[in-house]
Amino acid sequence: MRIGSGEGFWSPIVWAILALGVLAIGFAIWLQGRRTYKRGTEQEEPFLSGERLPEGAGVGATHLYWGFAEALKPLLMRLGAFHSGFLGDYVGWLLVLLVISILVVMLG
Amino acid sequence: MGNMPFVVSMILVGLGFLALIVRRNLIKLAIGISVIEMGVNLFLVSLGYVRGGIAPIYTYAPPGFKEMVFPTPQALTLTAIVIGLATTALMLAFAVVIYRHRGTLDAGKIRELKG
Amino acid sequence: MVHAPILAIAIPLLGAFALPILAKLNRRARDLWAVGIALVTLVFGLAVAGQVFASGKPLVYTLGAPSPTASVTEGGFPIRIVLVVDALGAFAGIIALLAGAIGLFYSLQYLAEEEGKTLGTSLLLLLWAGILGLVYTGDLFNFFVFLEITSIAACALIGYRVWESRPPEAAFKTMAMYTLGGLLVLISVGILYGEYDALNIAYLSKLITGTLLDKLALGLLLGGLLMKAGAVPAHMWAPDAYGEAPAMATIVLVANTQAAIYALLRVVFTLFGGALATPGIGWLIASLGTVTVLVAVLMAVVQRHLGRLVAYGAVSQLGYMLLAVGVGVVAAGKGFGEVALKGGIFHMINDLASVGLLFLVIGAIRRAVGSVDLLSLGGLGHTLRWESGFFLLGALALAGIPPLNGFASKFLIYESTFKASPILAAIAVLSSILLLAVVVRAFHGVFLGPKARDVGPAPWGMLVAMGVLAVIIVVFGLFPGFFIERMVSPAVQALLGGRAAYLAAVLGG
Repeated sequence: MRIGSGEGFWSPIVWAILALGVLAIGFAIWLQGRRTYKRGTEQEEPFLSGERLPEGAGVGATHLYWGFAEALKPLLMRLGAFHSGFLGDYVGWLLVLLVISILVVMLG
Repeated sequence: MGNMPFVVSMILVGLGFLALIVRRNLIKLAIGISVIEMGVNLFLVSLGYVRGGIAPIYTYAPPGFKEMVFPTPQALTLTAIVIGLATTALMLAFAVVIYRHRGTLDAGKIRELKG
Repeated sequence: MVHAPILAIAIPLLGAFALPILAKLNRRARDLWAVGIALVTLVFGLAVAGQVFASGKPLVYTLGAPSPTASVTEGGFPIRIVLVVDALGAFAGIIALLAGAIGLFYSLQYLAEEEGKTLGTSLLLLLWAGILGLVYTGDLFNFFVFLEITSIAACALIGYRVWESRPPEAAFKTMAMYTLGGLLVLISVGILYGEYDALNIAYLSKLITGTLLDKLALGLLLGGLLMKAGAVPAHMWAPDAYGEAPAMATIVLVANTQAAIYALLRVVFTLFGGALATPGIGWLIASLGTVTVLVAVLMAVVQRHLGRLVAYGAVSQLGYMLLAVGVGVVAAGKGFGEVALKGGIFHMINDLASVGLLFLVIGAIRRAVGSVDLLSLGGLGHTLRWESGFFLLGALALAGIPPLNGFASKFLIYESTFKASPILAAIAVLSSILLLAVVVRAFHGVFLGPKARDVGPAPWGMLVAMGVLAVIIVVFGLFPGFFIERMVSPAVQALLGGRAAYLAAVLGG
């Protein structure tokens, strides 16, 4: 059940067998660990540098990739301005697309 | 002068696009789209016109007629007009709903969906 | 079964208009009617696909003729209206059938009675009929008519929640864009009719020589269809529409957008395949596709509205399909062009499964919680067990994680694009990684974290609809070779070498 692309090929079955092997190795390593975890004790609390966390603290979705979004901010701001939500802009960009496609067909 | 109807219809299409880009009132945007539709309909009708032709109805044709205009573009135009009616009605209905929610018809202010 | 192609279009159309009348009598009868119409449509649609795949020849059905096979008049004039279903049309039809049936089944328990369930179901059937007509028709003007039927039904469905402020805005904008796209197509149809006095796709394809007017017509068609397929820079309606439409309509909207990609393939390879399918057009479509992928994924990073986030993910997948189509045009005669088209066409059904599953889960979340704002959601995994599993599956498939189906098709797209242009391939792979980050963030924000609220699980009907898509994701992922061989390869062959067969099937000889 593999599919070829001319040079490479992709076979999910082979991949699944390999993935199972890797998982088995991981599981074997995990079994070597010490079992000191106890349910219902302080160990269940999230650990953050030993600080006491306020009730309901957690990592929200907006916190993920904060640095990434911050680094790309100039680009993302520009893209956000591009998606202005103004219908006249939508139509203008449609005309741009139309002119580009007509030009490409005429010239190429 | 034979190409005049095509030129006029394309001018209408251009004016409609201009209205869509420049105007901000939702009703006027719907009018702009209608103007483009009318331009396209005019284009279709003038495609089938034959100079001096009569309406393409065989049973009512006068004896000794020379030419008839093409019936197919007229059928296309009728269909396009009906479709245009439906789209215009739907757009105006949404404009009413938007006005009830926001209290404005200014497309520059109706931009909750952006980014 | 000789009338199956027209019945597959006519029956949902009849069902759509009879539904409100039945609803006046009895609500139970209305639901049974909707299910019955869906089943009958499925039977006829699958019969069409089965016939086409079994015979390997395009299926032609003529309307208004003494017999359905008389596609030309006695003098040999191809003036009759025909439906032509080749392997590509059958494949696109299967996608539409799948989306419509699942959306309809989901809507039975998703739509609330007081929110206009009758009209919602009716519009869904209308949209379904329009998409099926769009992929089956062999006549350029009927193509425009079905395009407009889908536009009107789709926009009415996008604005379904008129009591909220966002959906009508999305519907208005989408309607404007769809109408403009449709009118561009109509101008193009007019130009071709004025030049050749014909509307039959096969006959036009035979006549088109590549004059200046032909080029203008192709440019207008490309502009309208690329807009409808969600290509940057005219993609902005897509996140609005997908983000605000009710879930059962969104999955059919995705199928509608894919019908536009089908139309793009049909126009470039069949209608203008003889004279004007130049590499320049291929590069245009491929580069627009790559820009679409990149822009949509970057926009998805910063979204906080869950529907809009997944909507941008869906637009990026459309970009992958456009990229594959473009590479397929660029390298039409070479081996990797065929691989690209295989990947692109296979990606259509994979995308429908993964994006559709995500939108159905979002619908369930909206129904349970009443909000899809990432900032206010969280911890839903404690109660919505099935939904969280489905969301994770759909998200991983969307991002192209092996062994799910999204990877199988993206693999083909990457490999073939790399041979055409390594830069485009690199951008596509990079965007896929970014997309994984985006969907992980969405999953984290919605389902993980401390339990915040008690919500009930979705009704069984909605879960079954999601389950069907989940099964498709896993099965297509584990056995891609089987489906590519049976369904995708014939469709690719119908494009690359099948133009002569398409013409011969309609025009005879």
